[in-house]
Amino acid sequence: MHIPDGYLGPGTCGFFYLVMLPIWTFASRIVKKTLKARQVPMLAIGAAFSFVIMMFNVPIPGGSTGHAVGAVLVAILLGPWAACIAVTVALVIQALLFGDGGITVLGANCFNMAFIMPFAGYYIYKMISYNAPVTSKRRVIASGVAGYLGLNLAALFTGIEFGLQPLLHHTAGGQALYSPYGLSVAVPAMVVEHLLLFGWVEALVTALVIKYLQKHSPELLEERQVNNEAHF
Amino acid sequence: MGALSFLKDSVFAEEYAAGGGFLQSLDPRVKAITFLLFIIQVLFARSIPALFFLYGLCLFLALVSRINLGFFLKRTWVFIPLFALFIAIPALFSTFSPGEGLATWDILGTKLTITRQGLAAAVTFIMRVAASVSFAVLLTITTRHIELLKVLRIFKIPQVFVMTLGMCYRYIYLFVSMIEDTYRAIKSRVGVLVHYKSGQNIVAWNIAFLWSRSLKLNEEVYRAMLSRGYEGEARVLDEFKTQVKDWLWLFSVAALYLIILWMT
Repeated sequence: MHIPDGYLGPGTCGFFYLVMLPIWTFASRIVKKTLKARQVPMLAIGAAFSFVIMMFNVPIPGGSTGHAVGAVLVAILLGPWAACIAVTVALVIQALLFGDGGITVLGANCFNMAFIMPFAGYYIYKMISYNAPVTSKRRVIASGVAGYLGLNLAALFTGIEFGLQPLLHHTAGGQALYSPYGLSVAVPAMVVEHLLLFGWVEALVTALVIKYLQKHSPELLEERQVNNEAHF
Repeated sequence: MGALSFLKDSVFAEEYAAGGGFLQSLDPRVKAITFLLFIIQVLFARSIPALFFLYGLCLFLALVSRINLGFFLKRTWVFIPLFALFIAIPALFSTFSPGEGLATWDILGTKLTITRQGLAAAVTFIMRVAASVSFAVLLTITTRHIELLKVLRIFKIPQVFVMTLGMCYRYIYLFVSMIEDTYRAIKSRVGVLVHYKSGQNIVAWNIAFLWSRSLKLNEEVYRAMLSRGYEGEARVLDEFKTQVKDWLWLFSVAALYLIILWMT
């Protein structure tokens, strides 16, 4: 899911930085307005939490492993705006210190994983779990569906970004300069693997974590750590 | 949890950043700006020789910064450029890149033709990814991580982001240690061979437990911040110093940038 440097052309990279700038500004304003003083470390803790979730190898049938992105889980726990900042910070650290993802493509990665995924997932979760008690099974199902759809939407956008590269950036002779495959190859390649495999890993992790929190610490699902009153 | 051990070893190993090579002696602010220029140059480069030149320059900078070349190549080629190499293979053939044929094979009645356009697209793609990743990794391993995060202030990134980044970096280290301890405890009690369903439950339980502990940590950290004089705004010490050598380096990289731009 992390797009590395070199896959997207300069126009696409610049476009996504331009798209993300107002989102980051708005997110930091909302979080600053709603964040209580004693919750200041929560953003950093949320960012570290979303970073570490991506490091867990989840066993899957056949002896292999996959990993979850966790952006929907963080959005359910912190609210979508705070999740946007937390996942952005995690992606910046991954790109700067770990060499995972890239610097020029940071805007695009943040658009897919810190905006599309947490926001889509959060509102799907809210919609399905509407009025359900904190410990109800509907919330577990809602979180699983939100994780699955959130990740697949992010994968779809990533596929479209890859697939547009040969159309946007090529030489006079038609040679691709960045990601070499068009929409007809890039979109199915990204979407099918996430629909069939990684989406289920995301759904499983999100639903199981919510289930464990319902059982052992239901108060964590009732009280939001970063106020969510400003959601809309 | 191999990924966690790898993360701990690679992210927190700063032996090269503490070394006495050329890049380590530069002001981190100037180094970050010049490396950003290099990465942008790689992004805009349209010719294969320009990409090879930039990649060669990166290897030369690694050498004069006393980085072990074997370590550097392993760190930069595994995993991203190797993956790029793998996904670029189909682009070599006429199915994806129609054009002038270079070599043709007949496999079970199907003609596979490598085209000049396909080969150029694949080499451009792989070299661009390899050069970008190499510059990013070289910056990372020759700069102390806390300094690298502080440098973000020169790009006018709001203090709340810089403070969050710095704190997040420390928490990652703490969380990695916590998870490692938990896994060691599980391993010592149930062994390593567990059914995949039990494995999934262990992962989910670990994440939920980590979140629960994180919230408790938040309260403790806030109290620690208050006891150190936190009043709502973070203050950061600025210990960066620019020398003549830094200005010369900045000027040279900017000149090189313009020369390559003019030549290509």
